[in-house]
Amino acid sequence: MKNKFCLLLVLAMITFLNVSAYAQSKVIKGVIKDASGLPIPGANVLIKGTQKGTSSDMDGSYTISVSSGSVLIYSFLGFKNEEITVRESAVYNVVLKEDNNSLEEVVVVGYGVRKKKDLTGSIVSVSSEVIDSRPVQNAVQAMQGKAAGVDISSNERPGTVGKVTIRGSRSISASNSPLYVVDGVPINNSKPLAGALGKSVTDVSDSNAGGIDFLNPNDIESIDVLKDASATAIYGSRGANGVIIVTTKKGKNGKFTLNYSTALTTEEINENAPMMSAGEYIDFRRWARYYSNPSAFPKGDAPTIANDELIFLKSADPSAWANIAKGWEGGTWDGSKVATTDWAKFVTRTGITQQHTVAVSGGTEKMKGYGSFGYTGNTGVLKGQSFKRYNGVANVDITATDWFSMGANLNTSYSINEYGQSNIGRSAVSSTTGIYNSARLNLPYAVPYDSNGNRIDNPGGDNTIRTVIDEDKYSQDQRVTVRAFGSFYSQVDLGKLIPVLDGLKYRLNFGPDLTSYRNGVFLDARSAARSGTSFASLIKAQTISYTLDNLLFYNKTFRKHDLGFTFLQSKTGYQYEDSMMAANDVKNPENKWNALTPSNVTLSNYSTNIIESGLLSYMGRVTYGYDNKYLLTASGRYDGASQLADGKKWDFFPSASLAWNMNQESFLSDVSWIDQLKLRVGFGVTGNAAVDPYSTQPPLAGIVYPNGSGLVNNATLGNPDLGWEKTKQINYGIDFSFANSRISGTLEYYTSDTTDLLLRRSVPTPTGYRDTFENVGETEGEGVELTLNTVNVKAKDFEWSSNLSFSYQQSSIVALANGKFDDINNNLFIGQPQNVLYGYKSNGIWKPEDATEMAKFNANGAGFSFGNARPQDQNGDYKIDANNDRVIIGSADPKYIVGLTNTFRYKNVELSVFVYGRMGYLYNTSGENSGAKGSQRSIDYYTDNNTNAEYQKPIYSAGTGDSFFPILGYRDGDFLKIRNISLGYNFTNEMAEKAGVSKLRLYFQVMNPGMIYNKVKWMDFDTQSTASNRGFTLGLNVEL
Amino acid sequence: MKKYKTLYINLMFISALVLSTSCSDDFLDEKLTTAYTKDYYKTEAGIQALAVGTYYQSFALEFALEVPLTATQSGTDEFHAGGDPSNHIWNSYASGLNSFVTVSNANTVAANTNWDNLYVAIGNANQLIESATAIVSNNDAIKKRALGEGYFLRAFNYLKLVSQYGGVPLKLDLSTTVEVEFKRATAEEVFTQIIADFTQAYDLLDNAGGSAKITKDAAAHYLAKAYLSRASEINDSWNSATKTADLQKVVTLSDEVIAHHPLAPNYVDLWNFTAPDGANEKLSEIILAGQFNSSQLNTGSNWQHLYFLSTYDQLPEMKRNLAGGRPFSRLAPTYFTYDVFDKINDSRFWKSFQTKSIVNNKSTGSDYVNGDLGIIYIMNAPSDTRFAKTKNTNYLIPGGVKKIPSVYVQYAADNVGLMADVRFPSLSKYMDGSRIDLTSQRGSRDIILARSADTYLIAAEAKVRLAKQGAATFADALPYINAVRNRGAYKAGENRAAYADGSAAWTAAGQAGIPISYIPQNSYYESNNIAATTAATNLNITSISALPAEDMAVITKLGYGSDYDRMLCLVLNERTRELCGEFHRWQDLSRTKTLVARAKAYNIEAALNVQDFHVLRPIPQTFLDGIYANGRPLTAAEKDAMQNPGY
Repeated sequence: MKNKFCLLLVLAMITFLNVSAYAQSKVIKGVIKDASGLPIPGANVLIKGTQKGTSSDMDGSYTISVSSGSVLIYSFLGFKNEEITVRESAVYNVVLKEDNNSLEEVVVVGYGVRKKKDLTGSIVSVSSEVIDSRPVQNAVQAMQGKAAGVDISSNERPGTVGKVTIRGSRSISASNSPLYVVDGVPINNSKPLAGALGKSVTDVSDSNAGGIDFLNPNDIESIDVLKDASATAIYGSRGANGVIIVTTKKGKNGKFTLNYSTALTTEEINENAPMMSAGEYIDFRRWARYYSNPSAFPKGDAPTIANDELIFLKSADPSAWANIAKGWEGGTWDGSKVATTDWAKFVTRTGITQQHTVAVSGGTEKMKGYGSFGYTGNTGVLKGQSFKRYNGVANVDITATDWFSMGANLNTSYSINEYGQSNIGRSAVSSTTGIYNSARLNLPYAVPYDSNGNRIDNPGGDNTIRTVIDEDKYSQDQRVTVRAFGSFYSQVDLGKLIPVLDGLKYRLNFGPDLTSYRNGVFLDARSAARSGTSFASLIKAQTISYTLDNLLFYNKTFRKHDLGFTFLQSKTGYQYEDSMMAANDVKNPENKWNALTPSNVTLSNYSTNIIESGLLSYMGRVTYGYDNKYLLTASGRYDGASQLADGKKWDFFPSASLAWNMNQESFLSDVSWIDQLKLRVGFGVTGNAAVDPYSTQPPLAGIVYPNGSGLVNNATLGNPDLGWEKTKQINYGIDFSFANSRISGTLEYYTSDTTDLLLRRSVPTPTGYRDTFENVGETEGEGVELTLNTVNVKAKDFEWSSNLSFSYQQSSIVALANGKFDDINNNLFIGQPQNVLYGYKSNGIWKPEDATEMAKFNANGAGFSFGNARPQDQNGDYKIDANNDRVIIGSADPKYIVGLTNTFRYKNVELSVFVYGRMGYLYNTSGENSGAKGSQRSIDYYTDNNTNAEYQKPIYSAGTGDSFFPILGYRDGDFLKIRNISLGYNFTNEMAEKAGVSKLRLYFQVMNPGMIYNKVKWMDFDTQSTASNRGFTLGLNVEL
Repeated sequence: MKKYKTLYINLMFISALVLSTSCSDDFLDEKLTTAYTKDYYKTEAGIQALAVGTYYQSFALEFALEVPLTATQSGTDEFHAGGDPSNHIWNSYASGLNSFVTVSNANTVAANTNWDNLYVAIGNANQLIESATAIVSNNDAIKKRALGEGYFLRAFNYLKLVSQYGGVPLKLDLSTTVEVEFKRATAEEVFTQIIADFTQAYDLLDNAGGSAKITKDAAAHYLAKAYLSRASEINDSWNSATKTADLQKVVTLSDEVIAHHPLAPNYVDLWNFTAPDGANEKLSEIILAGQFNSSQLNTGSNWQHLYFLSTYDQLPEMKRNLAGGRPFSRLAPTYFTYDVFDKINDSRFWKSFQTKSIVNNKSTGSDYVNGDLGIIYIMNAPSDTRFAKTKNTNYLIPGGVKKIPSVYVQYAADNVGLMADVRFPSLSKYMDGSRIDLTSQRGSRDIILARSADTYLIAAEAKVRLAKQGAATFADALPYINAVRNRGAYKAGENRAAYADGSAAWTAAGQAGIPISYIPQNSYYESNNIAATTAATNLNITSISALPAEDMAVITKLGYGSDYDRMLCLVLNERTRELCGEFHRWQDLSRTKTLVARAKAYNIEAALNVQDFHVLRPIPQTFLDGIYANGRPLTAAEKDAMQNPGY
């Protein structure tokens, strides 16, 4: 392998030699090394003033023929350039110094790049090193906690992604999803499937990251997040929620590499909320029966066999009863003798994820290329859930002449998501979020098999509780996605053609984006989601979108003035088509969803649909810099969107920002510890038209009535005046770097003001409609973001560095549809954040000592009893009523988000610990219904013997016993969690070389080892469920 | 070379220009090609489609959930709480029945569900009236019919609204922008509108199309019902001016409808459902029915088969099966319902309730075989002394040949009764064996909205009321009452132990190999303990002073003395005997202001809480929270004021 690689290099060099052969010159050679004396392969050697050059080989050696007196420029990414004038000598050994100044890093700003030090807007970047530092399945996971102001929730289902919000939610009904731009092309991240699946399917991923999850994280060079409006306004109508710009890896000039990285992860589900044991549950239901009818049932602590036979449905499931009967052996009750069935263990397993990426890259002056193949295979921790993704990437950039270059980038993926137990086609009584939830619905005293070893369909004898034994065999929901995303450009440097146009370039970008989706569902008649008959459905959806940009760039420097112009004309088209068919009672399970033919089944549903939308844009931007001290960026964008009303389709989105590089001023030039100090201020207006197409003219709803097909008005009132939602934002920022970059970071403060909010608003039904889309009201928000990178300790062999990202955000509603009036039905309140909990506030539980108070309520018809949840009576009239006693209980939006990575490096060993947290919000855990008909997690509940309990007394019911039980569910959602601990080992070059490679890194990682802080121990507020996955990863990166 | 460069540049600019100009304005035009927009309503086909859609909205939508149950059957004298508490709050009138209904589970009907559905239906009816008025058409069969249907549908939904809530906002056109300022009209204004609309429908429509279509007779029936409602006790504070005239119109209209819709010969014909769209759904007696059939593609489906069933499947030797039904067990009959029938002479009890099931899950070691009697309800008289216990397991009933796993007795010496447990004879009128499997909720039986037996009793009530006004005699009501009673009597030669319900529509495939629990037999003889007979019976009431014993028991219990009260009581009792569980009861009791007395007397859960204010439903909180007055939302005090008193 290595030999072939060298051969390739030699061939490349011969090419260069041939090119430069006619120059009358002498041959010089040398070795390029870094400060520690290690050779640098692939370093560039360029003859100044020409395009001629070479690059170093694997040993850092180079050979080049030059004429005496020429100047050679030695360069390598991450090192400072070195220049040498060729004299007599034939050997020039060069030592390149590392360039620690991150300020020279290039940041993608949208329709171009800028050096970090020249930025005027608020942009946070995540580099490939950060992305590669821990194994993740998609780019969204990689960003989590690494960028201040970007909040990403966790979603652990294989093949799905969390929700991304940048600087909090501003919009109410329009999308809060950021715009994703991959290699310069905005990608389609519209939710597919809305048409085919309709509203009946609730588990279609409603995350808003749709789009970049298809990328292999190993193919990503950098992610730049545009946060403030002065930066995002360049994307005008789509910039309101921030812009995430992904740049994929490209070949680099002179450096040919072959990379292989792999990781193996094992995971187990970690449950924080254990279920009651059989003995505990039996007591619980006995109490529940007693409280539901004290005259008919004995107290929970005074059980009788006859009563147990009745309440545990002896006749319906003799096997479960046989288990309970063990507790009665010997005549008195001993709950510990009843065996507990751990139903979760029938649906869980060790999850295994394998990731492999092979990537090659390389390039010459004229041509650069990158190719990769990636595979991710994930067997989920829940039976029946798995995810496989194959990625292939190829890109090439060719500079054909000095005035024309062209590039093509194709990013493809093929993924198979076995979603596990499906909710599509569910007909069983109890609805669950999946197989794990279904398992936890089963009763702990019930047993899976009867005495003959047959599966018991309804363990415990309750018709609404179905067994999960073999459920993974009886329920399949397979989602296959093929996506091809291209980015093509050609660029003409007009200055090279017509000298007077020096600095003027024209560029054409074309970005097609194709997605094909297939969802097949088959539920066997024996599935827990069905009963009696089988079900099959097939959904196919196809999305075609494209972006076509015409761009003109003009950049000119004269003396201390840097001037730049960008002009854009852009067009985006989107087309979505789907088809769906479904049938009950597919006789042959082998047919799955593949034989929905007239001879086999009668379709129970079918549909086809198409959705089209378009966006047209014109944009201009000017950048001006004076002496690297004062920087100005101003832009304006004019956008038209098809889904808005006629006459409201077009709008204008301006922005301007200023930066002052203070460290360039003479008064700071003596202060050696300041590397950078930059003040920024920016202003911008961005828009949001992210409502569904056809919202201004809702289609009539089709009805199938036995008399024939009919139509009714859409329950959503069409709004012919629907226009843009607009956000104005002002951003103040300080970028700093002190003490030779030992301390660096950014501090930002912003205020935002969103007007003409797009709101899907419920309306009084006497209008004949249920809701409508309207531009209403205004929200304002502010926030602080701090990114801080510090090198805390730096010794010869040891380094400790920290990376902190912290954000604070606060938003409130200023006005709504009709001014400063609360809108209770839509849960929106003036002066409050958008997501508030509104209702009756908890005053704990009614206890015997509250008898007199309780009696006053009951005198007004309340019907409270001891052990019931006790709502607060706000106006003190001893009546709990909706008009007077509902209040705002708290905000469900986190105020603080923290991500902290500490990295310790000793020689070749690197240890890093990543901590993530959200704070300052209430979470509605919904309380415990305590009907005691279904299963129950272990809780502290009220009984006559335990009056100081956390939750109300159980009251037996198929629904809920206590009408006010939800008020006991509001909890402080703060948490600080160790997401992962990673230990890496970088082999020394000598060791690597012995293994025949140039770089070798091995790492080990622990995921979700535990919480540092959380008030509610039984919840993981990161995954927003009671469970999260915990596991280990072993990974390897090899570079040839 | 230089020349070519210039050429290239020119080409590039031209292509750029072409690409830019191709982005002309029509690129942003939004064309909805997959569905109709309101422009379609300007065509004849469009208004016909809208009419069909509004039929669905008004006659089918609500039957896929529990609104019909909670709005019209819960909390009455006919039914009380069954085993499942999803909607018990609507039965018990407990404090959770308020502007927000306390939710028990996902099936709980919210306070605003019925309100919102009715107003959305009215919105479509308004659209239909507006579009049918505007359309240029000389085809009366289309234009007049659509207009007539529009008026009928609007009035149909307003009649439901006023019956539930009293005066409600009167909206007679369609909003084109968001409107939030609404006030409640008076009940009088709402009735005036309802009567005007039904009258328009009556004038515009003909009698084509049978019970699937809105006919002139359907308009007449509902117009009669609206007049009768306006003339009822709940409106006595303002209805005196129109009362007598209204009642006279009720009689005229009813007579017209009755003449066109003869009663089915046998009461069981109405319920003997053997196949979707079968013979029992095409009887002349049926005036209007919500349409359902076996197509899985229908937007609506009939779920009412779920709600009235007892949980037979939890009893020994039994399991759930398609023919036995999926017992949601929401409502159980009260002792009023059991005892208001003359169980020896009135066939209607035995044709409305299921009293026997057979073993279909023989347990290992038991002496039973599948097909043996598994459950029997002995619906005996209070005077019957044969039984010691209400609930008997593995019991040989007197005169029986084999033990029966579960025997429940209406009157036993232990006095426990059938309301103490959740086992009861199931109302069988909606049983539906045509479903695809045992858990399928999609039923395919039509729902009878109006049948002429109801018209007879509407006329009878009008006569009773006219008698009170001095415009008729009480005896004038008897022919109407006797017409339905005589149909309910046993015919000569009739097998009194025979039983039939919609379970008979079951297919072997849907049964999926599970043995059935259905048996075409009732417990007539076990209950009545009389010798087998095929003689005819007579239910005729000959004099208002000789009312049947069952009715006298109710009259005595409720303490009625005047002829009017006694006769109204008879009519209301007869309505239960004839129309039990057919979604009329709550309105009948509420409008006659007999709800509180009857619920207290017969509904054990409602008795604890029901008060005078419960004759109207709470105005939904979502409505109060959503509307404005004088450009601002209502204050808490204004909301309290707009709410019906007591809530």
